[in-house]
Amino acid sequence: MSLVTVQLGQCGNQIGREVFNAICSDVHGTHGLCSKKENESYHDACKERFFIEAESGVPVARAVLVDMEPKVISQTLSIAAKSGYWKYDDHSHFCQKQGSGNNWANGYTVHGPRHKEAIMNLVQKEAEKCDRLGGFFTIMSMAGGTGSGLGAFVTQCLRDAFPSSFILNHVIWPYGTGEVIVQNYNSVLTLSHLYQSSDALLVHENDVIHKICAQLMHMKQISFKDVNQVIAHQLGSVFQPTYTAEDGLHYSRNPLGDLMETLVPHPEFKMLGLRNIPQMPENSLAYSTFSWPGLIKHLRQMLIANAKMEEGIDWQVQPPRPGSSVPSSHSTNKLLHFNTSIANLVILRGKDTHSTDLGSFRDPSLYTSWLNPQDAFSAWKTPRAFNKYEKSASLVSNSQFLLKPLDNVVRKAWNMFASKAYVHQYTKYGIEEEDFLDSFTALEQVISSYTTL
Amino acid sequence: MCPARFTRTTSPRPPRAPHDPSAPGGLLRGCGGRCGGSRGRDGAMVRKGPGSAEGWVGAMPGGRALPGAVGALCRAMPPPARLVPETLRRAKLDRPQATLDFWRLLYALLKQIHGGKWSEADVLDTQIRFVKSALWYQGYGRPELHRLPSDGSAGSRELLLAFSWLLHRISLLEQLLARNRVRTGDETSVCMCEDDLSQSEQGTTEIAPEYGPEDRVDVRYLQWLNGRLRFQWRSLHAQHQEQCKLLHQIHLLTSGSHVDQILGHFSVTEMDLIRQPENYKQLVQLLELETMQLEAFLEWKQLEPVYWQWMETVLDNMAEEGNMCKPQDAHIEKSSLPKVTSCCPWADSLTGQINKLSRDLMALRDQLHELVTHRKSAWEEKVKARAEDLQREDFPATVRKIQEAVELKLLDLSNLCAPKQNKVHGLCRLVYRSKHSASKISFSRSVSKEPAPAVSATEVIRELQMREASLQRELKQLREECRQRLDEIAEGLDGVICISP
Repeated sequence: MSLVTVQLGQCGNQIGREVFNAICSDVHGTHGLCSKKENESYHDACKERFFIEAESGVPVARAVLVDMEPKVISQTLSIAAKSGYWKYDDHSHFCQKQGSGNNWANGYTVHGPRHKEAIMNLVQKEAEKCDRLGGFFTIMSMAGGTGSGLGAFVTQCLRDAFPSSFILNHVIWPYGTGEVIVQNYNSVLTLSHLYQSSDALLVHENDVIHKICAQLMHMKQISFKDVNQVIAHQLGSVFQPTYTAEDGLHYSRNPLGDLMETLVPHPEFKMLGLRNIPQMPENSLAYSTFSWPGLIKHLRQMLIANAKMEEGIDWQVQPPRPGSSVPSSHSTNKLLHFNTSIANLVILRGKDTHSTDLGSFRDPSLYTSWLNPQDAFSAWKTPRAFNKYEKSASLVSNSQFLLKPLDNVVRKAWNMFASKAYVHQYTKYGIEEEDFLDSFTALEQVISSYTTL
Repeated sequence: MCPARFTRTTSPRPPRAPHDPSAPGGLLRGCGGRCGGSRGRDGAMVRKGPGSAEGWVGAMPGGRALPGAVGALCRAMPPPARLVPETLRRAKLDRPQATLDFWRLLYALLKQIHGGKWSEADVLDTQIRFVKSALWYQGYGRPELHRLPSDGSAGSRELLLAFSWLLHRISLLEQLLARNRVRTGDETSVCMCEDDLSQSEQGTTEIAPEYGPEDRVDVRYLQWLNGRLRFQWRSLHAQHQEQCKLLHQIHLLTSGSHVDQILGHFSVTEMDLIRQPENYKQLVQLLELETMQLEAFLEWKQLEPVYWQWMETVLDNMAEEGNMCKPQDAHIEKSSLPKVTSCCPWADSLTGQINKLSRDLMALRDQLHELVTHRKSAWEEKVKARAEDLQREDFPATVRKIQEAVELKLLDLSNLCAPKQNKVHGLCRLVYRSKHSASKISFSRSVSKEPAPAVSATEVIRELQMREASLQRELKQLREECRQRLDEIAEGLDGVICISP
């Protein structure tokens, strides 16, 4: 099952490149810590998923690069080719001469329709090269102009052209104190449009990753490249091949489908958060040892307490005891601290995964009342270690992780909208106040659904 | 069981072949005062030749043919189902030893018919229940069979009756042979039948089950399950597309290589044989097995009348015994019948209902006729009035639009009311045609000699697309109705806004 990656805008293209880099270096690394046969099937599964064999022997990434400016794309193409391990297809990109000026409406109503045919042609070509199309993985930022507006439009086109394929949008949540004034408008519009066409939204918050770089990786000067590399590592830990069944004999050939089925079957709940432990600078890896019980305990507490990384977890937060509170009440404990989940997926990679005990994740009090842990919790495993981490665990969670950030963004956007600030920039290109109101309504609905879990 | 009394004939005969002392010899009459003779019309009792070890003694002409018929029948049974002539013989005499064999046989056969997996591991009780319900499903309603005990201790003659009924009624052998055909081509199932689901589901949805507070299921959970089902369907769809793509590659790359000019290219099985020639042994074995069964079937077909004559004797036996054993059956309660019978109203009430229905239909038809004429006249007047109004507006355009809409509706209606033509249904072999689009050659059930009809894939696609379009229109209509209902409900409630999706 092959995934076609659509990299949108500057952010999307840079992250996309790092993702392919991370995947490739993981596959070629010698730290698999498993048998040769296992390594080979891992290698094959990964290759089928992300790359095509070219005549030159260098695998070609299954990706379409889209940006309004040529600079980032050419950079991306050349850096990729320089690595020697992989490259992009030379024809699989689309760019124009000028950017969108951070204007969502420009991207959505002007650039989108104008270039729809060219972009969809590229996508169609990539899709046809796949023996089995496993779905689309789009990478974009929510706040900018190209990625967000054009990205929302392209996602819609993907849905129209491939009605039964899986579409996963990877969305970068901007810094809270971001430089773009209208980023909240862009975010609101993007999210509400994506919610309609996409199957799931996997979110990475810039603030969070920045903190990880600072505190866990001990970086002094944090550049976008560092942030992107952390994001790429986390994405790789989710999308590299795994066994999805307990007694699986083959690596799963349907990563997106399996993910969607376990996490986002309900149409109102599509926001996914991602946590990955352990996370540390590469040179410390050799000196650290990990134990599964420790990792799992930390991961579980990160989930419950809505912690973003394995340091500074609030260990006081505990799930409500059964019978002590009425399920549908708005008890303060629930609202303020405890993170109720709808569904969780834990992915374990490395040594001794077969002996891990994930019973603590199957505690019914972690989950919302209308779903039992058998339906809500899944675990994927592989004995093959990822990216030099002897043991690593990831958590993809459909829970209230993003409730607060979403609430904040909608509130700020609404405050700006109430005074009609900057709205003319959007109405200039055809996004009317009606459209804004529709977006607000849609997101309020999402917020309300997540709050009343 | 009534005591079996048998007589010997008085005329001199060559010595009989030795037979099993535990069982009375052969097919001789039992019961009551009818001993000592053969049946009226047939006259002589014909003896079996000495070579037969089965000990069959025919009670009628063609007795020599009976073992042949029975033997052919047994050989024509597909492998998991085992049948030996001895079992049939014992069953006629209602011997308990044959009962278990017969239950197993019927289980194996009915499982295959219903397309299920045949597993040896099923407990006898489960097997018996399955056979009873499957027979009921096929329409076999003889209460004596359904009252048979679940431990398989008695009733082999009833089972023999049921078996023969199946043979005749649903063309058991033909169906099994068709199902178990060795397939070397790439098959795909085509179904262009009209979906009758919408009509049949109506009854169940109207009667909403009463749920107590404990039974309440959160609607979000149902939405969750529905979403999962959808995703699984989409995964299946993607896998299917992959399979089609790979089939296409094989067909394309091997065109021109096949011995059979009409087919022109290899199928997956054939490709596999080329890559791993050792597998041909297995294929040959399967083909030989199938050939044996087919030959047995042909033999059976020629000797079939003999079997039915023999079955008539079984029926006669049962009738006689039935007269004697009636008083015992009387007080077996209805409750021992399987639950399923209570759902099906029995004959009398059924005919009464049918009569009522036909009367109602006639009345409705007359009413409809009246209404139509009434409507038509009212419509004419309306049209006249409207036409005058529209003279000012763009009349031809609106008329055209109206005509198109009406045609579309009529098309749907006529499709619904059209008599059901025989649509293609069943398995077809996929054959690739490069100049025109890919076509399919139907090898469904008939054993006919003329070349089977070909259905082109584009035709099927077109028909299915039309069907899809009409279903979409229906869906849109239903959605509109739901939306209106929701709006009505929302109006009734205070402070509630309904935001439809």
